[in-house]
Amino acid sequence: MKRWHILAVRAVLLLLVVGAWEWAPRANIVNPMLLPPLTEVLAMLKVQVARPAVQEAILVTGLEVIVAFLIAVPLGAAAGIAIAEFPYAGAIFRPMLFYVFSIPKSIFLPMFILVFGIGFQQKVAYAAFTTAFVVLMSATAAVESVKSDYVLVARSFGATPMQILWRIYLPSMMPVLLETLRISMIFNFTGVMIAEMYASRTGIGHLISNWGENFQMPQLFAGVILLAAVAIAFNETVRYLEARCSTWRT
Amino acid sequence: MQYVADVTAGQDARAAIEIDRVSHVYAGAEGGVPALEDISMRVAPGRFVVIVGPSGCGKTSLLMMMAGLRDHSAGRIHVHGAAISKPDPDRVGVIFQEASLFPWLTTLDNIEFPLSLRGLSREERRRKSEPMLSLVGLSGFGARYPHELSGGMKQRVSIARGLVQDPPVLLMDEPFAALDEQTRMTMGHELLRIWSTTRKTVVFITHSLTEAVYLADEVYVMSPRPGRIIDHIEIDLPRPRTYEVMATEPFGRLRERIWQQIRRSQ
Repeated sequence: MKRWHILAVRAVLLLLVVGAWEWAPRANIVNPMLLPPLTEVLAMLKVQVARPAVQEAILVTGLEVIVAFLIAVPLGAAAGIAIAEFPYAGAIFRPMLFYVFSIPKSIFLPMFILVFGIGFQQKVAYAAFTTAFVVLMSATAAVESVKSDYVLVARSFGATPMQILWRIYLPSMMPVLLETLRISMIFNFTGVMIAEMYASRTGIGHLISNWGENFQMPQLFAGVILLAAVAIAFNETVRYLEARCSTWRT
Repeated sequence: MQYVADVTAGQDARAAIEIDRVSHVYAGAEGGVPALEDISMRVAPGRFVVIVGPSGCGKTSLLMMMAGLRDHSAGRIHVHGAAISKPDPDRVGVIFQEASLFPWLTTLDNIEFPLSLRGLSREERRRKSEPMLSLVGLSGFGARYPHELSGGMKQRVSIARGLVQDPPVLLMDEPFAALDEQTRMTMGHELLRIWSTTRKTVVFITHSLTEAVYLADEVYVMSPRPGRIIDHIEIDLPRPRTYEVMATEPFGRLRERIWQQIRRSQ
């Protein structure tokens, strides 16, 4: 199938969804109380984004996401690389980590609240906790994806351990690392949202949860669109980098 | 070619490679597993030496020891007078069985990899890598990535990468084993052409007896594990060799002699 063909079909599908969202509530096919027409939601989005309280919530959530990410990624990556590189550490910790990885992380949320309260720290700690595991697992896979042949070739040309790290490990792992970054951000964002919706005084998650409880559907959908836009934008940026860094991958 | 030049400048024929009673025992659960036993070899500069032997006889291990990539339990290995204990890219270039090109680098960048490790400038690297690219017959392919090259072309790049620092000794570990028969024949012929223009000392490992006789000045035959040298054969077929030589009677006789040695040792 040709590229323009696929793009055209996608555009048509999008228009259909958007059109249905607008038309179905207006024609009373779905209850407009439950699903307000799209134009109404977009108008509400504009109103909400202009409110200082919402702007502050966006700022808080953004900060939580970024700080949690900055804690989780280096921590998880360091642990993952250590487990992959040192067989002894791997033999000891690998099974435990797999056990913990399989537990749904949200059941630990009450404990985070007991320890950190319901403020900024609790959101960051909980999101970082859930994210670090994903990063750890992926980093281990990234290290294991480096072919030992490449290391041998580099050694035969007299490469130092630092040169092997920078010139063999790093480029070898780059595609997996970027993918890790992307997936871990999804988990990180989810972690912050869950923590905010569970117990919080501010943040987008808190607002969305409130709007839902108060049956303010236009506000709720405006929040959903806002979050979706941010998440998709981040995801696509990293995906673009990923594609650029792995032109050599077949 | 400084080391080769030394030799031709008058010091009496110093060996390019000298292996003196090398043995190796792998640490195992119950004592050790002997892998190599009392290997001695003396390779004169500029010679094309082929080592043949059954799978698992330790010929690749021996090559890795010459390259300084693996330890041995006993004995000494010297390359142009210097003991080998770690990789020494000034003396030894290694070409591996899989071309092992770095997939994230272009052909030229792959060839320049050894130079970039030493921090040579971009211009210096280009000045050295371009002639290598044309030497292996790949002019115009410098900007391609490995996945865009055929198996034979990849090995050409790998040979260029091994030659780019101009080491006097080239160690080749079954470099054509993964190629199809036709490509393999062509590559053997190409290697002889490259060798005759660069005059390197080559140690080449293979399973193929035909390849061994076709390429070599001398062939060492190894026994199954623990690997020992069981025969050393001069291949006195005239050079330059063409494919027709394979159909001649002396070629067949040499090939047969190696085959008999390998068969008897098993």
